[in-house]
Parts: sequence; structure tokens; C-alpha cells
Amino acid sequence: MKILLVDDEKKFAIMLSKRLALRGIDVDVVFTGEDAVKKTEINRYDVAILDVKMPGIGGIKLRRKLIELNSEMKIIFLTGHGSESDFKIGSAEAACYLSKPLHIETLIKILHKVAG
Amino acid sequence: MIDRFRKLLKLIRLDFYHQADEHLNPYFTFANYNKIWAIGILLLGLTALVPLITVAVIHYQLIQKSVDSELILRTERLTSNARRAVSFFMEERLNALRFTVNEIEYAQLTSPEHLSEVLRNIKLGFGGLSDLSVISPTGTQVVYAGPFNLEGRNYSDQHWFIECRKNNYYVSEVFRGYRDVPHIIIAVKSFRADNTFFILRATLETERLIQTLTSYETGKHADIFLVNLSGIIQTPSKHHGSIFEKMTLLPVPKYSPRTQTITVSDGQRQSIAGYAFISTPIADTPFILMVIKQKEGMTAVWDELLSKINWFVGLCVITILIVITITCTFMVNKMFMADKDKAETLALVEQNCQLASVGQLAAGVAHEINNPLALINETAGYIKDLFTIAETYHQDDELMENIDSILEAVERCGRITGQLLGFARKFDIKIQKINLKEIIFDVLNFHNKEAEYRNIKVNVDIPEENIEIESDRGKLQQILLNLVNNAFQAIDEGCRLDIIAKREGLDSVVISISDNGCGMPEETLPKIFEPFFTTKERGKGTGLGLAITSGLVKKLHGNISVKSKQNEGTTFTITLPIRTQEELRDNENSFGG
Repeated sequence: MKILLVDDEKKFAIMLSKRLALRGIDVDVVFTGEDAVKKTEINRYDVAILDVKMPGIGGIKLRRKLIELNSEMKIIFLTGHGSESDFKIGSAEAACYLSKPLHIETLIKILHKVAG
Repeated sequence: MIDRFRKLLKLIRLDFYHQADEHLNPYFTFANYNKIWAIGILLLGLTALVPLITVAVIHYQLIQKSVDSELILRTERLTSNARRAVSFFMEERLNALRFTVNEIEYAQLTSPEHLSEVLRNIKLGFGGLSDLSVISPTGTQVVYAGPFNLEGRNYSDQHWFIECRKNNYYVSEVFRGYRDVPHIIIAVKSFRADNTFFILRATLETERLIQTLTSYETGKHADIFLVNLSGIIQTPSKHHGSIFEKMTLLPVPKYSPRTQTITVSDGQRQSIAGYAFISTPIADTPFILMVIKQKEGMTAVWDELLSKINWFVGLCVITILIVITITCTFMVNKMFMADKDKAETLALVEQNCQLASVGQLAAGVAHEINNPLALINETAGYIKDLFTIAETYHQDDELMENIDSILEAVERCGRITGQLLGFARKFDIKIQKINLKEIIFDVLNFHNKEAEYRNIKVNVDIPEENIEIESDRGKLQQILLNLVNNAFQAIDEGCRLDIIAKREGLDSVVISISDNGCGMPEETLPKIFEPFFTTKERGKGTGLGLAITSGLVKKLHGNISVKSKQNEGTTFTITLPIRTQEELRDNENSFGG
């Protein structure tokens, strides 16, 4: 399983990617929406974990762009806000919607589930 | 009975006296109701009482004046009548003497028998004469007819003789004379053929004169008597001194040929005094007629009337003051209560606004904390991973324990921020798919029992089975509940409630709620969505229901309108977008990251 992690919180993204890597998951980390698009153009990811609010291209717009590039890619949204409206919109469009702080085991379970 | 008394007491209880809680003070329109109450009573009281008292005082003075002038007029008339009578009395007797000296020869007059005959005849004709005598120019009494034999007495040095010789006629004051009986002397001078003169003198009993005066019925408060030119009382007086004493109360009045009236006061009582100088066409007399009336006694009837007027005015003043006080208290109480309700509602609204901003603040804080918390979580988790999964380092139980406690603390913090966000969510819009039919029946379920009891027929008409819209369930529920509640309050037993929901165009739905209840007048329709506007009784409606409903509909990007006709019913129509989400999604910056 190959996944793309997009979050502007660099340290958080790196730590999370390291932990996922330790659990045998192949993770690419980028910190902006633009880089994420570039990466997706090159690689074929099974799942993308996107922060909803980012400078430049936000999570929701980014999702549409990524789906255009790879329609089979599953999307998981991440947010620090976790308001109900975000959650509803997010879960309507994405495979899953998670709020920070994460429980790593839950994330692993969900990743396996969405990736099939 | 007690209940009624309590109700009455409530009417005049000063509810505003202890103003409401201090925290409500900024919301009151008027700061000091006690002052308003006092000013109200004062102004109303002055407006009502000043004219009343002014009219009463003017009336009082008018009565006083008319009583005075009436009294003066009556005194003047009495004085004038009595003056005529006394003048006539004197004139009559002087004329009798004049007639005698002109008619009867001197020789005959000086015959004692004849003079006695004349005396008897005059007594018969006029009365009041006690004796008659003829005096020679030297002052010697020539003949005398009467009860006392005073013949041969000489009067040449007497005042009356000198005066009569000079003036031809004479009327004396009352005096006691030789016989110590009050009497008056009148005398007439006549000339004989040889041009020498003689005087015919008569003594008048005062009895007859007193009778003439007392024949004027004066009552106990009035006094009528004669005084001489130096103020010595000549005939009996009731209140102003004994006979031959100086008149009390007032000094000798100034001479006037006519009847005069003056007002005199002895310090305690006021009196009206009428006076007239008595004179006859042929001779002046030394008498002044005095008529004195005490005001006090004469105005008894008027005083009684005045006392009645005073009582009436007093009662009016008390009644007016009581009515004004009760009215003012009642009105100011009502005003205070309305103001208090308004203040309480405003305070509540402000509190809600504060709660909403606390919610927003909490959401902001939670959001800001979540990111660093996530970093701590991942970092600590990674350290743990290094020990447990990568086995880069040796197992260290103590370190693991510490890392676990960090992770546990992070989880706890996460729970707290989660709760804070949950609190803020109460003010957020939560969009979800809603089946219109379901939500309408959900709301109606609240009213099933009431509809059954009140025999209200509820008609739901939804032509399309599954109309689904994306909206906020809680808010839509509140909107429908408010409108249905309103309709239930407006309709009577046996009335109807119609709810129709249908698509309109491609992207909106219309829900209309109609009743055939009491309806509303057309002029109130533009105001019904304004805050604090209510047509319900005080205490039953806050005037916020429809304002909140309208606000909620706008929050859901919808529209609300109303049609109503008095006594025919009311229809509220809400239009809502089918896909609220689309509109919200464009505004991406409103979401957290």
C-alpha cells in the first residue's frame, strides 16, 4: 500500500510518516497542495491523507484535483478543528474524516479498510 | 371577599418601589420609577386641584361681597325709614305747637283753663305731651298746664330759652330736668299784636319716641337708637351703652344731610352702622339716628352655605387625590412591568450572545491547541515506536511508562478540546440529508395529543414521497415547531391546520403551514418578524418566536413570508434550498484545517 500524506504542519507530517513507515506502510510526505499534485502526477497512490486547511490549495480543492489525476485514489481528511459541519462535508466527499490528535492504531485500521 | 380585597390592594401596591435586580438596570428605559410616580401625582393633582380651589375661592369671595352689599342695603333702608319716622314725630309736634300759637289769641292762651283744654286736645290728637306752658319774653312762666305746678318759675338763663328766642323754634336733647324723668322740650316763639313775643313750651315724654323706634323689628343682632351731637345715648340701646352714657363702638359720625352707612369693627366682630342726622323742615334737632347691625348674626344662613361648600370642596379634593394616586400607581406599575419584561428579555438575549461568543472562543482555542497536541502525540508515539517496533533501543520499562503517560495526557487534552468544540458546535450549522416528510411528522408528533383533545384536524399534503434536502436538522425542526406552535395558539376547537410541502423548480422546496384561525390585521403583518412584537397578552408571548424563526430560516439560506386575513386564517410559507451544502462549500475558508 502506497500512501501520500499532505499537511503543512511539517514536524507532525514527518513524525506521522515515520510511524507509518515503521508499521510497514510506504508513505510519501509533502507539505503543500502543489507538491501533492506533482507527486500524484508521478506516483500512483492508493490513499491520500489530506489536511483540510492548508495555505495555497486547501484540502477540499486538492481532493478534486487529485481525483482528476487518479480516480481510484481514496481520500482521508484530517482536521484540527473537527467542527460538525467540516465533518459532514468531509465525510460526504471523502472515504473518511479524522480529527487531530490521531490514534495511530485507528488510522492503520482505517487505511487497511479503505485500501481494501 | 379577602381575594377581592387583595386584588384591590395589588392595584395600589408600589411594585416599582423596589426596583428589579441591579444587573437589569442598564436595560431599563426609565431609571427612576418612584420619581415618575411622584411627578405624575403632582402634575395630575395640580391640574385637577388648582382650578377647583380657584373657583371655590372666587365663589367664596363673591358670596362674601354679595352678603356685605345686601347687609349694607338693608341697613341703609332701615336707617332711612326710621329717620323719616323720627323726623315726622318731631315735625308733627312742632307743627301742633305752631298751629296752637297761630290759631289761639294770647289772651286765651294765658287763661289756665283754656291752656288745659288745649293740652287735653293735643294729647288726644298726638299724645306724648305731658305739659304745656307759656313763657314771657323775660323768661318767666306765665301759665302752666300739666301735672306739676311750675308757675312763676324763671327760665331766662336756660339754654333752651336763649336758643328759642334766637331761632324761633327749639327741640332739646333728652334730659332729666326737675322731675328726674327723661323728657324732651320743644318750644315755639310767636309774636303778639304789640310786637312783643311769647314762647309756647311743651314737654314730650320720650316713651312715645322710643315706641316709634322700637316699632322697627330689628332682631337681637341689630340695634336702633338715638344719640345727641356729642354721642350721648338718648334712647335705650341693646348693645352700645346705657342711656345718657357715651356711645361705645364708634365716635360721633360726621355731619351728612343724607343717610350714610359705614363698616366698623371692634376688633372681634364686624358691624354695619347706618346713621342719619334728624332734622325737620322748620327746625334742626340735636339727634342722630344710629342703626347698628352685627355682621356675624346676620350672615348665619350664608355661613351655613359656605360651610357646606367647604365640605364639598374638601371631599372633592380628597376623592381626586385618591383616584389620582390609584391611577398613577396602576399605570406606573404597568409601565414598570412592561419595562422589566423588556429588560429581562434583553438581558437574556445578551447572555445568549455572550454564550455564542464564548463558544466561538472555545472553538478557536481548541483548534489552536489541537495542532501542537497532534505533534506531541506523534512525537511521543514515534519515540515509543522506536522502542517497541524498530527496537533501535533496548526495552526500557520506565521510559515506556513515561511515554505512555505523555500519550495518556495528550489523549486527555484531546478529549477536552473535543468537548470544547462540541460546545461551540451548538451554534454551528450542521448540514445533513433530511427527509421532509419525516421531519414534518416528527414535529407534528409533539402536537398529536393536543390536536386530539381540541379536535383539530391536521392535514399533511406532500405529493412527492421522498423529498430530501440538505439542511440543519435541529434548526429546521425548531422553525417548523415554532410555526406549528403559533398555528395551534391561533386556532379554536374544531379548526383545521394544513401543511403542504413540495418542490419548487430544481433547487428549492416550499413548505406552507396554514390555519383557519383568528388571523391578523393587515397592518400588523409587516411587523410580525420584528423582535419583541407580539399580539398576545402580556406574559404569554415574548415577541421573539417569529423573530427567531425568521433568523433561523435566513441562516439556512431560505425565505419566510406570511399572508393573513382577520378571522379567516394565516399562512406561513418557507422556501428552502435543496442543497445548502453547495453554497457553503464555495466558501472554503470557513472550514478548519
